[in-house]
Order: sequence, then C-alpha cells, then structure tokens
Amino acid sequence: MAVQAVADAVTAASKAAAGAAGAVDATTTASIAAAPAGLALVVNWIDYFIMVPLVYFSVLVLVLGVAWRIVTILRAPAQAYSLRLYPAAKRPGVATLVDTFTMPQVRAHKPLFWVFLMVYHVAFVLLILGHLDILPQVNIVAPESRHMLGAGAVGVAVTLPIFYFIIRRFRSPVREISVPSDYLLLFLLLFLFLFGDLMSWGNSWSAHGFVMTKQDFAKYFDGLVRFSFADPRAVLPGAHYHFAVIHVLLADLFFMLLPFTKIIHTFFSVPINLLRRR
Amino acid sequence: MDASTSSKLKDLFETKLNGAMRLYLDTCARCGVCVEACHAYASMPQTRYTAVGRAEVIRKIFKRYFKLEGKFSPWLGEVLSLDDVTLDLVSDAAWSCTGCRRCMTFCPFGIDTQMIMSIAKLLLIGADKEPKLLTMLADMSIAKADAIEETRPGFEEAIQNLEPEIRALWAGSPGKNAVTVEAEGADVLYVGLAGAHSIVPAAAIMNAAGEKWTLSVFEAVNFAAFLGDPKKMQTIARRIHDEAVRLKVQEVAIVECGTAFRVMKYMTGAHPFKVVAFVELIARYLKQGLIRLDATKLKGRLTYHDPCQIARNGGVIEEPRYVIRYLTRDFVELLPNRDQNWCCGGGGGLVALGEQDFRMKSAKVKADQMRASGAQIICTACENCHTQLTDINAHYGIGMRVEFLSKLVADALVPWGPLPIEKTQAALGAGQE
Repeated sequence: MAVQAVADAVTAASKAAAGAAGAVDATTTASIAAAPAGLALVVNWIDYFIMVPLVYFSVLVLVLGVAWRIVTILRAPAQAYSLRLYPAAKRPGVATLVDTFTMPQVRAHKPLFWVFLMVYHVAFVLLILGHLDILPQVNIVAPESRHMLGAGAVGVAVTLPIFYFIIRRFRSPVREISVPSDYLLLFLLLFLFLFGDLMSWGNSWSAHGFVMTKQDFAKYFDGLVRFSFADPRAVLPGAHYHFAVIHVLLADLFFMLLPFTKIIHTFFSVPINLLRRR
Repeated sequence: MDASTSSKLKDLFETKLNGAMRLYLDTCARCGVCVEACHAYASMPQTRYTAVGRAEVIRKIFKRYFKLEGKFSPWLGEVLSLDDVTLDLVSDAAWSCTGCRRCMTFCPFGIDTQMIMSIAKLLLIGADKEPKLLTMLADMSIAKADAIEETRPGFEEAIQNLEPEIRALWAGSPGKNAVTVEAEGADVLYVGLAGAHSIVPAAAIMNAAGEKWTLSVFEAVNFAAFLGDPKKMQTIARRIHDEAVRLKVQEVAIVECGTAFRVMKYMTGAHPFKVVAFVELIARYLKQGLIRLDATKLKGRLTYHDPCQIARNGGVIEEPRYVIRYLTRDFVELLPNRDQNWCCGGGGGLVALGEQDFRMKSAKVKADQMRASGAQIICTACENCHTQLTDINAHYGIGMRVEFLSKLVADALVPWGPLPIEKTQAALGAGQE
C-alpha cells in the first residue's frame, strides 16, 4: 500500500512538474507531457529516490555514523601520559584552535599547499552556509536573489583547490603514500563540486538566463525539511534537473562516506590537535 | 604465520587502541606534509622512511581488523593482514624510526608517529621478532635491580674509585666523600648510567654547588622504552621511583639521557618528587650563583645539539643555552634548532642495537647540519646523541669535538673569589656576574 502511495505521488508530481516546466522549457515539457512509462518511469523513480529518501537516509547515516565514531573514541581508554610537544603553548586551547583552523605547520613547510587548503576550507564553510541559506527559514542572501551565496564564486573556490589536490596526489612523493580511497574521495568531491557549480552558476548561462534559481531550490529544500515527500521535479524545472539529481546523489554519497573515511577529520581535528598542545 | 599467532597479534594490537591512538589511526589525510620531516628520508628519500609511510603500515593493519573498510572494501585502503610479510614491513617501520617526533611538528593534525610505532614494536614482541639485544638489555636491567643487594658492595667500591677524578674537577671538602650512594637526607637523587663519564662531571658540579645529593644505585637508561614493552618499561622506572620515595628526596635528577628523562618525567605517572634533566639543575645553580664558570677555558666555536627527548619532547630548550652563555661567547646555533632540530639518528634504541650502517646513512642531513655550523665543538645533553654525533663526526670526517654539556661545565668550574682581570671580562661578556 505504501509503495503504491509513493508511486501515485511520483506520477502525480511528474504530471505537475510537466505543467510547471512547460513555461520554461518547451522541449522538456514535450518529453514528459504524457504520463511517464517504461524506462522514463524507472528514471523518475530513481530520481525521486535520490532526491528525497536517499537524502534522509544519507543524513541519518552521517549523524549516526559520526556519533558512533565519537562515542568509540570517548569510550576507549584514556591516554596515560601527555603527548604534548614543546615549547608548551601558554594557552593550549587557543593554540589548538589556531592549529586546527589556520594550519601553521602546513604554512611553514608547504606554503602553496596551505593557500589552497585555506581557500578550500574557508570556501567549504561558506558552501555549507550557502546551502543553509537556501532554506526559506534562513536569510543570508536576500530571499528574492536568484543567486546562491557568493553567486557561484564559492563553488569555484572549492573546485579549483580540488584540481590542485588531485594533481598533487598524482605527483611524487604524495603518490607513493596514497591509497585508492584517496583518489576516489577527491574525484567524488570534484564531481560533486562541478555539478554544484553547474547548479549555482552555470545554469545562469542559458539563453533564457537562470534555468533554476535559488527560489526553486528553496522550494525543494522546504519540502525536505517539512517531510512532504513531494517529488522535487515539480519545483525544479528544466533539463538541468538531472544535473541536480547527480549533484544530490554525490552529496548523499559524501554524507554516507564522511564518518567512515578520513573526512572524519572534520570532527576529529580539534581533539587530535589538542593532544600535542595539552 | 598460523591463525592463532595472527589472532594473538590482533588482540595485542587492540590493547594499544586508546582514544589518542584511534584518533591518530583514523585521521591521517595522507597529505604528505610530514614527508620531509624525517632525517632518514632527508638523507635517503624513500617512502618507507617517511612518517606517513611508517604509520601507514600500522594503519593498514588497523583497517584490516578494526574497520568496516577492511571487511567490505579492503582494496580501498590497501589493507594488510597480519602475516610474516607484513611483519617484515612492521619491523622496517619500527626500527627505522627514532621516535624523535619531529614529524609531529609538521603534521597539520599533530599525529604522533612514535605512538603509532609503539604498536609496531608490541606486535614484533608478540611475534617474537623484536631485536633480542634490547630484550636482553631490558631483562638485565630488571635482573640487576632484583639482585641489587648482591652487587651493591662492588658498585660502592667502584664509585669510591672515582673520587680522584671528581676531586680533580672540584676539590670539595677534605674528609667528606665526593659521592654518597643512596644516602638518606639528601635533597637530590642523581640517576646516572653505567660509566664514569655520567657520574664524574655531575658529581663535581653538584659538589661545587653545595648540593645535598646522593647517587642512585640504578641506571637511568630504560631499554624497555626503546624495545616498546610498556610493562618492563614501568618496572624499570619503578625501581627509581621507589628508591626516591624511600630516600624522601625532593628531586630526581636524570643524567644526560633523553629517553630516561622523558620516561621518568612524563611516561610513568605522577611522582611525589620533581623530575629534572641534569642540565636544568646546572642552569639553576648558575641562576642562584651556586657555581661559577671560567668562560675563557673553552677554546673554539661551540654549537649545541638539542636532544629530541629533552627539547621537543621534554621541554628543556632554553636551559642549555642559558648554561652555554656562561661557558663561552663563541657560540653558534645549529640550523634548524630547538624544536625543529634534526634528530641525530641514534634514538629509539638504534645506538644500543648497533645499526651502524643505517645510522650513518640516515644521518647525512645531520652531518651536513653539523658541518654548516662552522663550529669546532658540538655539545649535547644526551648519551645516545653523544654516541651518534661521535660516530657521525668520524664517519663523515667532520673534525669536530663532541662533548657532553655537563663535561664542559665541570671543566670550567672555578671557585668563588677574584678572577684575573681578563677572565673577569670574559666572564662578564659571557653573561656571568
């Protein structure tokens, strides 16, 4: 029964989407004016699964996974003696935060790498803010703006360093210390960001201006936070929809991988840096 | 390797998984910033001589047995199973690392490779593949302590035989022993090493300062710390702890031995007494005006090698420089120095093991650093470093004099009273009042 209800919702939403999209993209409208069937129905199902249920599932994996990892650390026996380095910091807490957020060790030994790392991490924080800003409940950029935070610059600022990181990873001596997951994670991020760039910036290059705007994304996010389970196709018009689906799929993967890969340093950087300062 | 051994090693591995170790094993991004931190890599650029290269051996075993990745997608992290081939890699990693922790100053997360190598060393002990020489030395330390009452008369006689050497450096009070062994009522318990060189200069300095001190019957060196056997390490350190408690001393002064100092001060829990490196004691005597040095005695440009376990890992960084100000005006720093100083390449048990070929090859960067200083004399405050620097000096034909800092101080001791005018001026220039 529940499956049938979801199927009905997808079909109804697809029809509604066809109507909404018609004003924007006649080609797309023509292709989905009729009720989807066969392969198109399967694709719609997959799109819907990625854009709604998988988003909830991946966020759940992220939250529970990170919580599990933190609990594992907290429940492990405590370190018996100090692992501090000298000269000792006068304020270990402040020194830990400086180490974590400004990486003076990298700046001292690999200045170019440090520039890219700083640009990447600062831009990543802005990226999170930019995505939160899509929510109608959050207003960093004016709600009527068609642009996301940074008008595409934030996306470029995370993407360019990834190219540098990939090139660096393929070169000696970093290549010799790398394992397959290092490359795969970088390529995951690269394509995640490239599709994000396409959504936030590239889609404004079409002949008619924006295909999908921040307001469109706001409707999709609003549906997610309200658990409406509505098909996002109804609010995200145009042929660019599949780019959005791929972007969200890669984001889902990123969320699910974070707790179980080295990206967990997002949460562990502060406590691990504290060890050499305390 | 049979399944039961592999299982036993996995269990041993698990005993090391405290919170800090899990953070170290989970967080590395393999960014490669640490690569150039290691003196071995700087001298022989091979991945296996990088901090990350060594840690990855252990990290790949960790992933294999303690991570989902090891079960579902082992190829992602190129995991390693516990077998004989892997143990060869573990041995290579463990015994090419001196535990200097210089890499920790490069790592954006501060990952402690020495800690990770403690797993490697424990696995080798579990597999009966550890260097047997270190096991023997650690066991001998424990056995000697167990039989201390039998060896005490011989030890005390040997110490009394050092009197003339000590009095040659500092005459002291006639009729009073230059050294007492385990005397009650002392403020300071000095823990030396086997060998007169670790006792004679220290005794002269403490006698000159009028210190109420006594000599431990034990050696400070902790071979079990090099070996990576935490239980034996605690047993060896405990002897000194118990002796100090029994004698009710206020301070335990550790001979110029980096590992002995770090183990005693930081790695063996809280003590009811203060633990100091001997160079700290010298600096204090100078600050308090308890000893006086002749700054004209030392001829030639002097430089100082910061022992990793005393400086970067022990916090005794400025005290040696304070002492040197009283020894000479012709002092030049090694570059880099202090917490960034290159490891000499002899720590972590390598000097005790011999390992001459690896020690010399991996110390090329140290030899270059020594030569670039332009100094004629290099002093240090660690037994291992002194041995290694002496070997480097000979191997690379640098032509320096290698000295213990305490020896230079003992040689420069002068009584209070008027100095000849040129010596007074030199002393004033060197910072002496």
